[in-house]
Amino acid sequence: MGEETTSLGSISISPNVVATIAYQATLESYGVVGLAPRNLAEGLAQTIINEPARGVAVDYDGENVDIEIHIIVEYGTRITSVAASVANTIRYHVEKALGLRINTINVHIAGLRVSSTD
Amino acid sequence: MGLDSPETQQRLEKFRGAPMDGQSLKRLVEAGLTWLRTNQQMVNALNVFPVPDGDTGTNMVLTMQSAYNEINDLGHRDVGEMTAAISQGALMGARGNSGVILSQLWRGFSRGLQGQEVLDGPGLVRAFAEARDTAYKGVVRPVEGTILTVAKDIAAATEAGLSSVQDPIELLALAVKAAEASVERTPDLLPVLKQAGVVDAGGMGLFFILEGMLRHIYGEPLDTPLASVQPLSAMNLESAMEEVEEGQDYEVVVDFYPQGTLDLKTFYGKLESMGTSIQVGEGEGMYRMHIHVPLENRYQPIDYIMGLGTITKVAMENLIAQMDEIDQKAKGDYFELANVEPGQIAVVTVSPGAGLSRIFASLGVAAIVEGGQTMNPSTQEILAAFENLPTDKMIILPNNKNILMAANQAKEVTVKKVSVIPSRTIPQGLAAMLAFNPDDELEPVAEKMNKSLGLVQSGEITIATRSVEIDGVMVEKGQVIALLDGKLVLSAKTVEKAVLGLLKKAEAADHELITLFFGEDLSNADANQIADKVRKAYPGQEIEVQDGGQPHYQFILSVE
Repeated sequence: MGEETTSLGSISISPNVVATIAYQATLESYGVVGLAPRNLAEGLAQTIINEPARGVAVDYDGENVDIEIHIIVEYGTRITSVAASVANTIRYHVEKALGLRINTINVHIAGLRVSSTD
Repeated sequence: MGLDSPETQQRLEKFRGAPMDGQSLKRLVEAGLTWLRTNQQMVNALNVFPVPDGDTGTNMVLTMQSAYNEINDLGHRDVGEMTAAISQGALMGARGNSGVILSQLWRGFSRGLQGQEVLDGPGLVRAFAEARDTAYKGVVRPVEGTILTVAKDIAAATEAGLSSVQDPIELLALAVKAAEASVERTPDLLPVLKQAGVVDAGGMGLFFILEGMLRHIYGEPLDTPLASVQPLSAMNLESAMEEVEEGQDYEVVVDFYPQGTLDLKTFYGKLESMGTSIQVGEGEGMYRMHIHVPLENRYQPIDYIMGLGTITKVAMENLIAQMDEIDQKAKGDYFELANVEPGQIAVVTVSPGAGLSRIFASLGVAAIVEGGQTMNPSTQEILAAFENLPTDKMIILPNNKNILMAANQAKEVTVKKVSVIPSRTIPQGLAAMLAFNPDDELEPVAEKMNKSLGLVQSGEITIATRSVEIDGVMVEKGQVIALLDGKLVLSAKTVEKAVLGLLKKAEAADHELITLFFGEDLSNADANQIADKVRKAYPGQEIEVQDGGQPHYQFILSVE
């Protein structure tokens, strides 16, 4: 958990906050049609609690942030471009909101969605 | 030129008289691309969302370029097939967020025209609607006030218009009008735009593509940007030199401080009556106007601006006198190098000719050092090329075994993180660039680029400078020789024979793509004649011919 001390006290930022921002940013990224649970356990947990940041894992040592994100992409888009812009968008939003330095963002394409065309 | 002018009316008659087939659509796409490119810097300057990296215009141009490349040499096709090819090209070349959305718009557009021979009103409306639907499907939470909204407004306006208008050209005009209004509204929908005081860049790009098509139909010029003011630093007065035509004898540049506010529409309108290639820049209250005018008009812009405020400087150049000089330089010496942002990887490459430099630039190279066989650049020259780039991650492509050493030395000397990809030939360098991604980390990118070196065979055709026997090949001075991956493989009496012999040695029949880069010693016609022979000999392979502009080598070939 990251902490910063001000003259009035300390401010701490939970990795969950980073994950939520990343999650929201991803949903607004073009080409992403969903996020995927990282594993079966998370998938099960999801049906029980409504976690606001599924498919996102954040590793935050108080200085550097590492993000893993599992996304589902619309079939027929250029997947590498979509993934690159997801990473860009997450970096931009997290750095803007929290002023944290992002070390790595790994984007995993967990699946493709084929939209019915007609 | 007014809409009611006889010329415009005549053009409209011509367009209305013939059904809009695939070939007409191709020209419209080309016009859309050209107009977008003309206004590219303006679109780039708008970029604030979601990542303020200022390359929306560039990304959209590259995506459109890829779409156009796909149809460039397609013969007669109906619009259904043509748009399918456009969609394919846009998909393959989609760059950045806006490029991906643009490719989805084309995908939907082509879906709406599937199986259609010509473009009619209802077809166009269906295509716009499908474009909107397809684009919206690609995102969970669409952000309004972006290119998506503009696509939606275009579809709505043309759908509504269809009840009274059937003509595709009039519907296109409706679409352009709707796009313009929609772009204007984007700041009301997206606060971040309002804060920055701009409109959405992607939406603006889409507007330019459609407007370019319409301007082409109306016969309006596509090479002068719209009435717009750019930052002084963004003015590119060098490139304007390339576009010199008859009747544009003088270049006039005037710096001035206007009295009160400058009414841009009137200003541009007045300038357009005097000349072409108009650009206006602004910095800290000072304006710079650039224009090409015929001899007899050369003082007009100065007199006109004198009445608008205070002139601080006037520069005038006789372009006709410089024309010969420009002709001497390879046609189109100008090219746009990739813009590098801090944190990105920049590639420096060594290129022996203008054409090759342009190809490298189009692939995303950030700096070019002139050099090659018999003109090896120094370590210092390579260093100078990248020391000023605003990033510390560099890749060097020497493209010649003799330059590898200098590149490695440059790596030792600099404090930047440098990876040298040991490309020994131009085709290897180009192959490596195809694997390049500026936004990744240095090591994985370098590794990918390294791997791609092996995917291509490089051939070189040149004239022997002395008689020699190497690797069992007898060569007499003055004969044409062919090298495959740096090894002498044969000698021949003519360039054509050497090329065909080389391709045989490279077992080109087992490969897919043969690219011929012809050098400065060969004319376009000669090169194409030889290319035709190659096409005949290799009907199953795709043959590309590019103006490489390199000295000494009649041809550089790549087989992959």
